[in-house]
Amino acid sequence: MTEPLVQAWGLGVTLGGSRVLDGVSLAAEPARTLAVVGPNGAGKTTLLRAFAGLVPPSDGELRLRATGGTGYCPQNPSCAWDFTMGELLMLSPRPEAAREWCVRLGAGGLMERRIFVLSGGERRMAHLALALSNAEEPYGSLLLLDEPTADLDAGRRQAVIDALATLRSAGTSVVIATHDFELAHSADTAAVLAEGRLIAIGPPDSSLTPEVVRKTWGVQPSGA
Amino acid sequence: MIRGPAALALGFALVALTTFIAVSAGSTGMGWGEGGSLALLRAPRAAAAACAGLALGVGGALQQGVFRNPLADPGLTGVFGGALLGAALLLGFAPEAAWSEAWRLPAAGFVGATLASAALATFGGGGGSARLLLAGLGVNAFTAAATLIVASVRPGARETIANGAYGDWLGTATPETVWLPALACVAASLAALRLAGGLDRLSLGDDVAVTLGCDPRGLRIRSALLTSVAAGAATCLVGQVAFLGLIAPHLARALAGPSHRMLIPLSGLMGAALLTAADTVGRSAFTSGTLPAAAVMAALGAPAFVWIARKSHD
Repeated sequence: MTEPLVQAWGLGVTLGGSRVLDGVSLAAEPARTLAVVGPNGAGKTTLLRAFAGLVPPSDGELRLRATGGTGYCPQNPSCAWDFTMGELLMLSPRPEAAREWCVRLGAGGLMERRIFVLSGGERRMAHLALALSNAEEPYGSLLLLDEPTADLDAGRRQAVIDALATLRSAGTSVVIATHDFELAHSADTAAVLAEGRLIAIGPPDSSLTPEVVRKTWGVQPSGA
Repeated sequence: MIRGPAALALGFALVALTTFIAVSAGSTGMGWGEGGSLALLRAPRAAAAACAGLALGVGGALQQGVFRNPLADPGLTGVFGGALLGAALLLGFAPEAAWSEAWRLPAAGFVGATLASAALATFGGGGGSARLLLAGLGVNAFTAAATLIVASVRPGARETIANGAYGDWLGTATPETVWLPALACVAASLAALRLAGGLDRLSLGDDVAVTLGCDPRGLRIRSALLTSVAAGAATCLVGQVAFLGLIAPHLARALAGPSHRMLIPLSGLMGAALLTAADTVGRSAFTSGTLPAAAVMAALGAPAFVWIARKSHD
């Protein structure tokens, strides 16, 4: 059994007086994909930020062991200045890798374009390439993506899924927060959060069951 | 937009040209005087304007980078005002001490600017443009009021302080008063170059910047301290100048793009050229009298501010 890159035991996070995460225990392992799903406000983003070391636990224990870099792409990635896409990718500690990822994600033709004039989906590709390039060590890297497929058309969405599969098989631990059930079902493990608590965890077929979906979201799962 | 080295070359050429005109132009026409005597007389003033402009331009680039906001200008957010207040307090309450050692006035300006930066970070950080500008408005109003009070209760220093508030201290430049603040302006500007990579990454937001190896808190503190050194030193040379810290980075960004590796040095060069030109225009273009460099800058800067504010909130 490989050692997890992130492990949380009873993790609790309080932000601005609100309890955002409460008693969450889970782990992110190398060469595995963990999908974190849950309704709006369930604490998915806070969990990812805690995994990135950006918010300290209020209680419980959180052990971060990523040795090969941490790539993080927030839900609404932004940039204050109007860089070209090529200039934006230069902000990566591995700019060449960032450019390569951008090409593989199908956005290689946009290098000279200014990011303020790109569409939301095109801009997301640049930020994803930046995050991917920072989690590219063959082993021990952690990739944290918040809603990676939001704003993307079907072709780009597939390119992102393929890229994640490539990194996963190279040994990266991929953690995605998503509302995209299809994406969640493609992960090795799905963790369902609701109101800051872990409702279910395990292989998607056993954790993301129609009953859990009905209870958590109050809707019938599509196709069920 | 032009490539980096060409933009820098253009910046240096503009500084050289404006400085040459500054030592050549007088109220009675162009010329260096007999044996260059007039040029030698004007040289400390031109050097003071160029160095102060350099520091004010760099200070603007740093503050815009730290706040990720194109409207941040230490002249509008009270940091330069804090520097003037620090200098005014020393001039008002310990005038002998102020002039006895060359470092004391810049040091007082540095302390004032640092306190204003701390107030701005406390009340204006972590929000959008509105919060930053409102906090800056408050800090600026406070420093202006306090400077006015110092000038009022210490009549002996009133004229000196008032001239500083008008940005009219360049006229008093002598080699003895200029060398140390000028050196501090250049040193702070050179040190600021080291912050370029961090400021570029900070443009992606604190969270992403951290994962890319940047320390936002440390970067903000170093940036605020360097801006304060620049503000303290530049204020001793010229007094208070608004809008230069706004316009210089905007010109630089328009010339060479937003990367801080080019933006910081180019903002400094643009600031140096602008303030030197503004001072030369102010003292030689009007036959009926002289205008402070700060007044010329404000006449250019106020419309530019409105234009940038409209553009960045479209």
